[in-house]
Amino acid sequence: MPARQKPDRPLVLVVDDDPDILEAICDVLVAEGYRVARARQGQEALERVGEERPGAILLDLMMPVMDGVAFAEALRARTGGEPIPIVVISADGNPQRAVAVGAQSFLAKPFDIEALLARVAVATSAPGRAPAP
Amino acid sequence: MSEKPGGEEAAGRNAEGAAEAPAQAVRERRASYLGFVAHEVRNPLSTALWSAELLARMAPEERSGARGEKLVAMCLRSVGRVRRLVEDHFLAERLDAGGLPLRPEPLALAELVEAAVARGPAGAGVETELEAGLAVRADRMLCERTLECLFAAAGASGAPVRVRGRREGARAAIRVKGDPPRQGALEDPQRGSPSDARGRSLALPAARRAAAAAGGALSVEGDEYALVLPLDEGPSGSGGP
Repeated sequence: MPARQKPDRPLVLVVDDDPDILEAICDVLVAEGYRVARARQGQEALERVGEERPGAILLDLMMPVMDGVAFAEALRARTGGEPIPIVVISADGNPQRAVAVGAQSFLAKPFDIEALLARVAVATSAPGRAPAP
Repeated sequence: MSEKPGGEEAAGRNAEGAAEAPAQAVRERRASYLGFVAHEVRNPLSTALWSAELLARMAPEERSGARGEKLVAMCLRSVGRVRRLVEDHFLAERLDAGGLPLRPEPLALAELVEAAVARGPAGAGVETELEAGLAVRADRMLCERTLECLFAAAGASGAPVRVRGRREGARAAIRVKGDPPRQGALEDPQRGSPSDARGRSLALPAARRAAAAAGGALSVEGDEYALVLPLDEGPSGSGGP
């Protein structure tokens, strides 16, 4: 059985317009005991951040209404101070776009579940650290 | 190597530049299209891989539970999306290259519509208003595929789909109405175009090519899809004596 979300574990916000991607990533994270929040696009993600500051954000870049780049800019303007670590998850395959949004790291879809969990572990344990190589 | 007078040389360079510009535009458009296709395939490929991997990690008794069923459904849905994208992409490629053998034959429009409805999503409501005896002469596979695609697009939100067919000169005109077509729906999507969670992003551009290959045309007229196909001119066809 998958582990339940544990109240003392970090909250991870998953932002992706593809409902299956959202569902699958949240399933994996919940099974590992993380708490998760989800959003289908940037505007919705800003609302989730307003409700509770996440320990890390998994961010798709190409989304309707407000894309990942616009979200990251709005997030920086809103939160200030200690940044929330962002892991870009993109089917674009270009890591330069992750650099452009100030992400801590980048995962090109399709990526391994273990790679995802490793990035999330780093992001939630070391917020605001310098980008991974 | 002979030297050209300055003016002639400059004119030559300009001509080369003028010829190169459209070719460069085609290459950029092609790269942007392939970027879109790669993006569209990677999302469902991700969920197919993850759901299969998670299922493999589960104990056998867990797989029959709710989480196992959810993952199986996700895996099948994702593979289906990849399949549709790949099929539509290669159909378009083959039609562009003229590499698809076509078999034009007399086809009753009512039967074509019925077959396309049967191939589409279960429970889709398609209301038809077809001129009696209307028949076209075209490749069956391309016609059924084009109609199925139009019904899926027009009924994407669950809206009822209305199909009207009548003779217009030497052609059969078929109008499909439901969800209004979005702007540029029949054009090849480019990087940044909206995704389709059902894997149908390439279906309408492929259908436009299929209609053209069948000797007809697919366009958008107002809030409808307009498909024209050659009438069957045979003795038993609607275009016959």
